[in-house]
Amino acid sequence: MSLRILVCVKQVPDPEQFDRITLDPDTGSINRGGIPPVTNPADRHAVEEALRIREILGGSVTVLTMGPPQARKCLEDALAMGADRGVLLCDMAFAGADTLATAAVLAAGIRSAGEFDLVLCGNESVDGATGQVPAQLAETLGWPRVTHVRKIEVKAEENRALVEREIEGGFLRVDVTLPVVIAVVKRINRYRLPTIFGILEAGKKEIVEVGCATCENCGLAAGAMGLGGSPTRVVGVFQAPRKRRVEMIGGEPRDAARALVQKLREMGAL
Amino acid sequence: MFEFTKEQEMIRAMVREFADTELAPKALEFDRKGEFPLEQVRKLGALGIIGIASSREYGGSKAGHLPAVIAVEEIARVYPSLAFILEVEQAPLYMIETWGTPDQKQAWLPPLIRGERIAAVAATEPTGGSDLSTLNTTAVANGDDYLLNGRKVYITNGGVGDWVLVLARTGERASILALEKGAPGFVVSRRQEMMGFRSGDVCELGFSNCRVPKTNLIGKEGGGQAIAMATFTVSRAAVGAVGLGIARGAFDIALKYAKERVLYGKPIANLQAIQFMLVDMDTEIDAARWLIYHPAACLDRGMGPRDIGKLSARAKYIGGEVAASVTMKAMQILGGYGVSPEYHLTRLLADAVEIFPATGTPQIMKFIQALEIVK
Repeated sequence: MSLRILVCVKQVPDPEQFDRITLDPDTGSINRGGIPPVTNPADRHAVEEALRIREILGGSVTVLTMGPPQARKCLEDALAMGADRGVLLCDMAFAGADTLATAAVLAAGIRSAGEFDLVLCGNESVDGATGQVPAQLAETLGWPRVTHVRKIEVKAEENRALVEREIEGGFLRVDVTLPVVIAVVKRINRYRLPTIFGILEAGKKEIVEVGCATCENCGLAAGAMGLGGSPTRVVGVFQAPRKRRVEMIGGEPRDAARALVQKLREMGAL
Repeated sequence: MFEFTKEQEMIRAMVREFADTELAPKALEFDRKGEFPLEQVRKLGALGIIGIASSREYGGSKAGHLPAVIAVEEIARVYPSLAFILEVEQAPLYMIETWGTPDQKQAWLPPLIRGERIAAVAATEPTGGSDLSTLNTTAVANGDDYLLNGRKVYITNGGVGDWVLVLARTGERASILALEKGAPGFVVSRRQEMMGFRSGDVCELGFSNCRVPKTNLIGKEGGGQAIAMATFTVSRAAVGAVGLGIARGAFDIALKYAKERVLYGKPIANLQAIQFMLVDMDTEIDAARWLIYHPAACLDRGMGPRDIGKLSARAKYIGGEVAASVTMKAMQILGGYGVSPEYHLTRLLADAVEIFPATGTPQIMKFIQALEIVK
């Protein structure tokens, strides 16, 4: 049995350049201007895992994202890695979504794109970092979910997967039935770079654009999308103050060590 | 306004990520030991980077000459030695694909493109390289073979090369023969110690009554000089790209340092003296960049070596100039750190200087340009 795999990916500002993010003190909004967008790092591992599973069991890998027109780029990058086709959920009606409204649109997009046995996601995005979407997506689809996954073994013939889920101080081995939503951590694999061939082939692969109307046809009310469908609001953002103080302690090592311990005690650090 | 295609941008991003993650952590160590990066060459093959300008029929991707230049530039940013190895590999690939017989192409190109085999071109002799009319290495027909005799120097990939494409005199004119590693009478006399490109494998080669089958003749007998000239013309943009990459690597180091280094209470990047140096470096890099891309873009638009003689000589010339100039300025910005090998600039400067003689000195590059300008 070949497996129909779908991977959810998200475009985020390049985490290497997060030091360039500023906050607008008047509007409280995050200014990401000039920071190039990239695929969320954990999502690249999810794409890699999908490709590995396809290499073992056969089947297809579809990548899906919700975002503005330029989010097409992260689909193209996944197609260059080897995914078969892309789905871009792009509509002004989707803008301003919180995790729940995002999960609702993703679920509608997945339904519109066909039948799937396995949906993979990165465990969390580096920008929002809530880690909510995979669980909410599974709930919306009515599927089981496993998050924080570091290993996947799909038993396609038995319609189930054995996965390892990281927990504090160890891991759980979970036996789950398909279809399932699995959110992976970066440790699960080392993702491949696209080859030159992959890059040249990517342009020939299909990317389907899905808007609000298609999602409505898949049973999602317009009111459940975007800002209007979001029960949570960001009411303020603030920058954590980073203060550094340097004090040089001189003298003989033994005396300096004593003085250091004394200082740390006074500060309550010891 | 010139714009890269989406594919070219993706190729740049991929090679940059490969360079930053796979090469940057190892480059200094490889160069310090003078070790040939065999595993990394294999990886270049697996990613399709070696065959980037080669035909699909033989396992290449035919992405083009401009993508090849982009790939060389991105690798040179962190590891110029490997970028030069990649550049050198392009020459035999081009020679075999353009002038080889169908059998030669089928036998030699796929393993070279996959990075499983390595090839070198041997033109330079102790008496010189650019004036090919003074060639002393000879190949004399003997039954089904040529008997090869002579000496070649400064041959990059000369020791590790599974095939060496030797330029030798066959009668009055020169020819190119593909010599296989291990052929009786073929010796790698010594590895030549160089100032830069220290993990490149630069060797002196000797041939003593070395038998080369006539089926290993590339192109026509006597056509060697024209083949060599055309090949060097095509590959010069990529040599320039090694210089461009070196300059960008040095600039990145200098900019980062200038923002972090605090002097009299503020980063030195706030000082106009440093800012003006950074502006000059950035301007030099951008000016060189377009001169270097130009001949490669011309080739991709269907022009041939004859059409780009001046452009490619200029590209190679400016590549050496920008590499040396920007690296020297970066060294000044870093002060004492600039001359410490740990900060990479000494390695980049040594590599920059190596570009001057590669495929012809700056003066030879000007001579080639003058031929077209003052004709």
